[in-house]
Amino acid sequence: MAVFQSVSILVKRLVGISVIVRNFLIFYIMPVAIPVIIGIALAGCGSAQSDVPAVERRAQALNQSIMCPVCPGESIDQSQVALAVQMRGIVDEKLAEGWSDEQVREFFVERYGPSVLLEPPTEGVSLAVWLLPPVGVAAAIAVFVWALRQMRRRPAANALEPDDEPSDADLRDYYERIEASVSESNNDGQDRQDGRDT
Amino acid sequence: MVDAGQLALVIALVVTAYAAIGSFVGAWQRIPDLTASARYGFYSVPVLLLVSTGALVYAFVTRDFGVRYVAENSNIAMPHVYTWVAFYAGNAGSLLYLALVLAAVSAIAVLTIRKRLPHTTPYALGTMALILLFFLAIMLFLANPLERLPIAPPDGQGINPLLVHFGMFIHPPLQMAGLVLVAVPLSIAMGALAARRGGRDEWVDLGRLWGMVSWLVLTMGLMLGSWWAYTILGWGGYWAWDPVENSALMPWLAMTAFVHSIMVQKRRGMFRMWNMALIITAFTMAQMGMFINRGGPVPSVHSFAQSTMGWLFLAFMAGTLLVSIAIFLWRYDSLRSRTQLESFVSRESSFLGQNILFLAVAFVTLWGTIFPVFSEAADDTVITVGRPFFDRVNGPILLLIVILMGIGPLLPWRRSTTQSLIRALRAPVIVALLTVIVLLIVGIRQPFALVGFAAVALAVGGVLTEWARGTRSRHRRGESYPAAFLNLLSGNRPRYGGYIVHLGIAMLAVGITASSFFSAQRDIAMKPGDVASFGDYTFRYVGAVHTMHPDRAESIAAFDVWKGERLTGRMEAYRAFYPTFRIASTKGAIRSTPIEDFYIVPSEFGSDDQAVFRVLINPMVWWMWASGPVLVLGILVGLWPARQPAPAVARMPSGAQAARA
Repeated sequence: MAVFQSVSILVKRLVGISVIVRNFLIFYIMPVAIPVIIGIALAGCGSAQSDVPAVERRAQALNQSIMCPVCPGESIDQSQVALAVQMRGIVDEKLAEGWSDEQVREFFVERYGPSVLLEPPTEGVSLAVWLLPPVGVAAAIAVFVWALRQMRRRPAANALEPDDEPSDADLRDYYERIEASVSESNNDGQDRQDGRDT
Repeated sequence: MVDAGQLALVIALVVTAYAAIGSFVGAWQRIPDLTASARYGFYSVPVLLLVSTGALVYAFVTRDFGVRYVAENSNIAMPHVYTWVAFYAGNAGSLLYLALVLAAVSAIAVLTIRKRLPHTTPYALGTMALILLFFLAIMLFLANPLERLPIAPPDGQGINPLLVHFGMFIHPPLQMAGLVLVAVPLSIAMGALAARRGGRDEWVDLGRLWGMVSWLVLTMGLMLGSWWAYTILGWGGYWAWDPVENSALMPWLAMTAFVHSIMVQKRRGMFRMWNMALIITAFTMAQMGMFINRGGPVPSVHSFAQSTMGWLFLAFMAGTLLVSIAIFLWRYDSLRSRTQLESFVSRESSFLGQNILFLAVAFVTLWGTIFPVFSEAADDTVITVGRPFFDRVNGPILLLIVILMGIGPLLPWRRSTTQSLIRALRAPVIVALLTVIVLLIVGIRQPFALVGFAAVALAVGGVLTEWARGTRSRHRRGESYPAAFLNLLSGNRPRYGGYIVHLGIAMLAVGITASSFFSAQRDIAMKPGDVASFGDYTFRYVGAVHTMHPDRAESIAAFDVWKGERLTGRMEAYRAFYPTFRIASTKGAIRSTPIEDFYIVPSEFGSDDQAVFRVLINPMVWWMWASGPVLVLGILVGLWPARQPAPAVARMPSGAQAARA
């Protein structure tokens, strides 16, 4: 009997240790493992970019900002038609001659009009295209905060209705619920607390 | 056969009109027999449209060029398997396809909601029938796919070569189906409103189900579209913020907001008006998508189904929007929230924040897409709003969304204490910070990319922490780890299915961030036998085989590729030029690994053996395509119906059962 007891104590000790080890694995290894995996995966990331000569990188950026006039919506970097190939050639040529990015863009605007640039200018009417999004997002966030305040202030329409949900104020409660749901594992337990839907 | 299809189309129109009127009148006047008859009529519409579909397929297969649509979209040389693509390659055929999908899915949807929402169903069915009626009417009166030509030409014009790709077998039909399927959750929501049931939340489960179905179809459509662009458009990218891409993205964004926010109504009885507004927005944006696709005001590479009827779609969009708003205002009072918001820092408010951000991206996209029309009207300057604009404006908002994806699911419902917040966020935030440090060590300095990767780490860390905690607490109750994990997932499927989807989105975000900031590209001119190197790769241009076909000139270039010192094998890039369409179709040679894609695409073949190749190294793109199955899995878990509570007998202690025996 004594042997049995000491074995069971030993087992309990081991289990205790393994729980610590497991907790360690879950809560300490993971915070290290994820960054290390991401770091390894991205270690060589973008190293090929340094293989691209600076002037070519400039040309690519320019190509991506100039639209191919005969294939609307596509940049000359992207398009496969002859005109786009030709325009890419012009970009390379002008950059080799020492033109600035701005000069190259103006060169194409003179020939094909302002719509050749994929990025709308920041002046005149098209300033609006740039201004509205930040203003709109700021307004949306203001409305969001205001709406939240309103919702908090407004007395509940039916405050007397018994609240059929267990308090979820603390995550601990949430985990307790998970544990509790195990004991009724035959019951699927999906959203038990709100059977009102049906 | 063609005449039978024509006749079936006419009958379908009449029956659909009857179903709409009968369903509304029957529900209004409380005549159950009338609504039942309308419903049975509605069930017959997909069968009728199937007859028309069969007729068109038959015309394609028998090369009946007397049918205008067949003559315009196929020719004798076309292999029969492309009938599938030719069917929706043009305007009229795609309308028939849309009508068939809408009719079939609506009928299935009615079957699923009929028992559980008896009051809502007639109105929902009427709404679906009205929307279907629109498609059937323009098909019959303006773009009939079965219209006959006075004289049958000897051969057809052939199919658009850009559509001749495996991706085109799945992307367009999924994309179109996704756009039209938004009508189903909209109809259920409108039906619930019209039936004065909007405030009872009973429509929420089924509205969510059909909302997620259309979300899934839209997601897959977008993904396969990007995959097609990546492998066949031959420029090494997958998304260009083209107007038609945008028009497919907008309803997706609005639906993403909807499938999240509907959970708050399901769980807490809040956001009732907001959900209605979201589903109306999503449907309007889907209509907008169809409008832009069909002869809308903005030019695009995707204008396959161009026609002059775009304005009809615009009118229909405006009409449905006004009617939806009218119904919304009419039943406004029934939509008050059951409970109130308790805290700024809670799951509810993070859902609302998520909604705002998604709508912000949607409206920025809409604004940029249609702005050229405004500016031309305002002062006659034609400008283009292209990729640089969208990257710059939407990029930061998307980044915020990924950050919120990491934090939101960890916040408790209702309110949180500082202590619980620290407890919930500790592990993921540590993961995110360590990620930044590790990335700085390996040499990544781009601030936006750093924040992006940290946000992904936050999201992944959050999901894994939640899983680990839940599994552990179940394990303590005596379940083995695998069983504990599976029971955890099946215990709250909407939640854990959502987590799987979040993991998929994290994969997508890694791919997008890495490839937008760190992809490298060169254009290299080579002659056969030349060796060049780029990054870690060395490649030798072996030579090209040029062949002439009746419809195209085809070139296949072969390369031997080494990664470092190791020969990785031969890669082949393909380019075909179709003189009739003056379109070049290219297929890059891609060596894809989870770390990076090595991508060679032929730009031009010169007269002397010299050819120009575009060579790209795109990091992490593999993860974008791999996220597709993860997203599908997550949605399926989230949608899988809950088991009914087992009868008490099943849980009777074994002793009691033994006693009975």
